[in-house]
Amino acid sequence: MDMEFLTELNELAITDHQRLTGGRMGRRKLEDDDDNNNSKEFKSKNLQAERRRRQKLSDRLLTLRSLVPIITNMNKATIIDDAITYIQELQKTSQVLSEQLLEMEGSSEESVMPMKLEIDVAQHDMKKCGIKEEVKVSNIDGNKFLIKIIVEKKRGCFTQLIEAMNYLGFELSETNVTTFSGAMLFSSCVHGKYGDTLMVEHIEELLSEMMRSMKTSSQSAIELGNTN
Amino acid sequence: MKVYEESGCFDPHSIPDCQELMGLPGPTPTNCHNSLEDTLNVSSYNHHHHEDASAALDMEPHQHYLLDNTTNSHSHLIPYLTQDLPYDQSHWESFNVLPSSSPEADAAATAAAGAYTTTPDLLSLFHLPRCSFLPNPSISFETTPGSPSVVYDPLFHLNLPPQPPVFRELLQSLPHGYTVPADDKDAAGVGGLYHDGDNGIIQFTRDISMAGRAKDRDKAGKTTKHFATERERRVHLNDKYQALRTMVPSPTKNDRASIVDDAIKYIKELLGTVRELQILVDKKRCGQERSKRLKTEDAASAADAGDVECKPLGDPDQCYNTSLRSSWLQRKSKDSEVDVRIVDDEVTIKLVQRKKINCLLFVSRLLDELQLDLQHVAGGNIGDYYSFLFNTKIYEGSSVYACAIANKLINVVDRQYAAAPPTNSTSL
Repeated sequence: MDMEFLTELNELAITDHQRLTGGRMGRRKLEDDDDNNNSKEFKSKNLQAERRRRQKLSDRLLTLRSLVPIITNMNKATIIDDAITYIQELQKTSQVLSEQLLEMEGSSEESVMPMKLEIDVAQHDMKKCGIKEEVKVSNIDGNKFLIKIIVEKKRGCFTQLIEAMNYLGFELSETNVTTFSGAMLFSSCVHGKYGDTLMVEHIEELLSEMMRSMKTSSQSAIELGNTN
Repeated sequence: MKVYEESGCFDPHSIPDCQELMGLPGPTPTNCHNSLEDTLNVSSYNHHHHEDASAALDMEPHQHYLLDNTTNSHSHLIPYLTQDLPYDQSHWESFNVLPSSSPEADAAATAAAGAYTTTPDLLSLFHLPRCSFLPNPSISFETTPGSPSVVYDPLFHLNLPPQPPVFRELLQSLPHGYTVPADDKDAAGVGGLYHDGDNGIIQFTRDISMAGRAKDRDKAGKTTKHFATERERRVHLNDKYQALRTMVPSPTKNDRASIVDDAIKYIKELLGTVRELQILVDKKRCGQERSKRLKTEDAASAADAGDVECKPLGDPDQCYNTSLRSSWLQRKSKDSEVDVRIVDDEVTIKLVQRKKINCLLFVSRLLDELQLDLQHVAGGNIGDYYSFLFNTKIYEGSSVYACAIANKLINVVDRQYAAAPPTNSTSL
């Protein structure tokens, strides 16, 4: 009876070989094994790799399980389900909280005041330290320049500087900005996109003009803000 | 989903077709022998995995029922197939999810325990309308409710009468996720039946979008798994992994371990964001209360309300919100990487992007929009990349949080044209 059983099984190809390598991942290797003479080696390498893969997956699932306050069953499928539910819950919570925050922000009047204060403080500090506004441009090589600007620090002045650079057709290959005592030091290695080589003095002039216009435009912006 | 299209094969009036349909992986009328082989192979492969053993068990019983009375070349295998089962039985206890069976099948099975004389009865079952014992007949998924429900009671053929009661007890001990619906009065008595009042799992596999899936699950609060085949179970599980992947903001590789890893990281990030938001809300509430109080107390000093550090000493409602807010988020996209760290009111942003365009302008506009005061910027072009480091400070009164910054930043950097996103904290 047993022998018959075994032969029947063999006919159906239920063998150890298939059992070990015929799983989801192992099926790939099946064709190679048939052709391979040293299929035993091949099989064992794959077996170890497969074991490690499964171990890795099961470890991670365990971690996921530990994070989630599971409500339902503890099998592979439900842990994924529960993780999905939990993530949705958390997303909903953070959505609610951020909306709450937005509401609160809308109703508070704190943000307007600091701007005026900042600027006064900045001007005062700069004068105290003797920092002077400055524009310096040096030519490095052909189209490349090193630009150094010291300007009074204000909200949005960095943006304005970058806009100015763009306008002049400069591409900033390296930029460095530092702030200290209400002053901002902008130093950048640029190269002209537009091919024509600008003169150093020309650039300095343009930049100084831009900074002056920046100053006046920001002043009016502040005043507008204050009246609101 | 190919398996669901097999309804064409399901013909109650032809036995050979039925037998193929009964959970064999690739049923076509011509593939009778091969599919049987496959099934048995599948069962033997999966005896390593306890959760797969249910499928293995599932394969055998219907074969007993169906092959018995048919002059099929495989019928001689039946006595030997039963001998395969003992190893599956050892995994019996570890089953948490069991396929459902119908009341009629249970009744027939218990009557037929050990004696395969009920095949005619079972065959007559196939003539029943397919979804008669499912409370929700609107499920368009027609094949599996009928067929597996007839077949799936793993141990009936083993002539062990105590088993069904055990099954019932097991069911009763299952967590609240699995219940016996009131509709099936017949079923309630005989063990081994649980249905989802709605089509939780079935729609699950049809529809990848998570929103629909979650709703279906929560409608009844129950899930049920009608796995006609092992392949369906796998497909089902794969769908869940894909669903999990869609929830994560920046998924990496598409293999299961990475998906789970991304989910872990995202859950931790979400927990951090929720905590951060909670701190901000509390701080804001404190600030508002304080400013209200100051206004009512002294109109002149209301101007200083914006300065949150200035607390009058004898203040009874002082909120000692000394919790230091700290959060760290990363976002990756195809071309860019954003790293945002917040400690109290200082925000450090690292940005690496692969495109050629200098995005400094857009980023600085965004930082202005988010009310972040630039203290230091460093960076430039390195090879194909632009890499920047921004040290910023949050202006007083702003309650921007890490997640918002990171998301907006990655959007801006990716899109490259946005001057400034509209609002402060709506995106998550």
